[in-house]
Amino acid sequence: MATATLKREEFTVNGVKIVQLTAGKGEPLVFFHGAGTFHGFDFALPWAEQYRVVIPFHPGFGESDDDPKITEMHDYVIHYLEWMDQLGLGKVNLVGFSLGGWMAAAFASEHAHRLKRLVLIAPAGLRVPEHPIKDLFRVPGEQIPAMLVHNFEVIRPHLPTGPDVDFLVARYRETSSLARIAWDRPYDLKLPRRLHRIKVPTLIVWGEQDQVIPVEQSDAWAKLIPGAKVKVFQEAGHLVLDEKPEALKEVAAFLV
Amino acid sequence: MSLPPDLQFYFMHFMPYIHLPEGHKQYESLWVEFPNRFYDPVKGHQLYQRYISEFVLADKLGYDGLVVNEHHSTTYSMMPACGLIAATLIPQTKRAKVCVFGTPVNLEYPNRLAEEYAMLDVLSAGRLEVAFPLGTGMEYWSNPANLNPTTCRDRFREAIDIIIKAWTEDGPSTYDGEFYSYRYLNVWPKPYQKPHPKVYIVGTGSPETLQLTAERGFGYASVFVPTTQQVRSFYELREKAATYGHTIRPDQIIVNAIVYVAESEEQAMREGKEHIAFFFEDALRTTPRFLAPPGYLTTDQLRKRMTATALHGKFDWDMMASQFRVVLGTPERVAEAIAHWVEEANSSRVVLHLHLGNMPHWKAVKNLTLFAEEVMPRLRKLSPAAAPTDGRRAAQPALQEVR
Repeated sequence: MATATLKREEFTVNGVKIVQLTAGKGEPLVFFHGAGTFHGFDFALPWAEQYRVVIPFHPGFGESDDDPKITEMHDYVIHYLEWMDQLGLGKVNLVGFSLGGWMAAAFASEHAHRLKRLVLIAPAGLRVPEHPIKDLFRVPGEQIPAMLVHNFEVIRPHLPTGPDVDFLVARYRETSSLARIAWDRPYDLKLPRRLHRIKVPTLIVWGEQDQVIPVEQSDAWAKLIPGAKVKVFQEAGHLVLDEKPEALKEVAAFLV
Repeated sequence: MSLPPDLQFYFMHFMPYIHLPEGHKQYESLWVEFPNRFYDPVKGHQLYQRYISEFVLADKLGYDGLVVNEHHSTTYSMMPACGLIAATLIPQTKRAKVCVFGTPVNLEYPNRLAEEYAMLDVLSAGRLEVAFPLGTGMEYWSNPANLNPTTCRDRFREAIDIIIKAWTEDGPSTYDGEFYSYRYLNVWPKPYQKPHPKVYIVGTGSPETLQLTAERGFGYASVFVPTTQQVRSFYELREKAATYGHTIRPDQIIVNAIVYVAESEEQAMREGKEHIAFFFEDALRTTPRFLAPPGYLTTDQLRKRMTATALHGKFDWDMMASQFRVVLGTPERVAEAIAHWVEEANSSRVVLHLHLGNMPHWKAVKNLTLFAEEVMPRLRKLSPAAAPTDGRRAAQPALQEVR
């Protein structure tokens, strides 16, 4: 098991304070998180044995500041272009989960030449009418955690045990940031027109019991991204990386 | 004692749908997701007839204004298009101002709202007053999701800017905004009153709304926040407006009051209290999630609300009576309470909730009548006549006489 810890770094991108967590050495593995950061990133530590793991908080999420000027996914794509340039990151391995998966796919569809390999973990961003993304805006907040996992014990330690104003305010803030770009819909109707431009090796990872974005959506992604491979893990929900160490290993192995 | 000049009394009605099904308490919210199969249009028709007759009575009794407002997907109000109710009231009433307080601005195209209100002003020969609400959080769940609550305040500002421009500048003009652009902004009709009908902003004391009101020098109504907080908001508004060169007059500050008048205090409590309880426990019942869609509030505001008094779905008489403008009692007692409230707020516009919740018709009529005959004269006596107008063309009584 990894002994590394995540180190906190802080700097400014286009006037917005950005915080990122890093661990390990070697080739960069950039991780784009989902719309809720409350379950932390310790799950990613095993990757630090092989890679320089870099986990930036998106503007409006976690420890990074808000950027109210962000109103669409493309604003995040540009943000991450600037961020990569600023960090002097050449070609990176990009792993994106859920909202971050959509972000990674959008980035890759425009700037695949900045990537070595791409991994999409239960990504949002596609409209698959037969297997729609669960509209989490319709779900009362207290019901959401259980919906994220197959095994509730995985997420329990990250939840408050009683009324916790700070926790609720932090969730409201992240949900608001999500709403800035996805209140009307959690996908981009134009994305299918662009995904064929992703010409880097791509792995798609899903939990079989995903209650937020149905595992059936993996087929749609695989059809649209040339040569993409799909790996589905049993007894795992939306937070497949938190639930299945094998999924982490699979990602690490794919990126080598 | 002398009260602010030109004290006026507006009667406000929410026109609620009161026929709740057995077991409705199991629904956390009677907004947004309360199934509309519980709506019976026959009963709805009867309620419209009845409620409109209460407005008409208020006009006859000498109330200065009749106030309607708008909400969606709820039993709380049967006015998802409050301009329609205003249009219904105009030919049935003679004297009272028709106050549309109002359509949440973001739910309509600004030119469309400017036109609709101009129609009402022309139809009524200048009896219109309007208030621009941002709309409750609930409205953003019940309307198209391409209306984003995270940008609602900026959109609200821009829409109001367009409406005022459409009313005050000769068209055709153009508008090039963040949310709307107009190639030909040229509303027909334009308002009867010049430069435009009196405008208020409805808020809950949030800094954003107060700032907008101060910049534009509009009137202001603060709702669903405790009286002391409202009075503080009014003070802040006056201070802030002054820095923009505006003097906020007493007639631009609205105080809302829940009132029931009866022969004795005991009788007033016996007759009135249960309906006020219904209003807070049932009509207003909704969830924190619906009250604050993502981005509708800043995190600071959310934090404040989470620790503030809960009003939606709860009713605590002592809390209510001590923190809000609620008075149930004899005409003397009611007049005394209102005199105090208008004085502390330096306001001359009182919006009265004389019908609330599931109050039956006879009580609404009794309350309206007793207030008009026994309370109003007591208060009017203490308020000097209207100050000279600020140049707006007043409603023309001669024309109304003819009708």
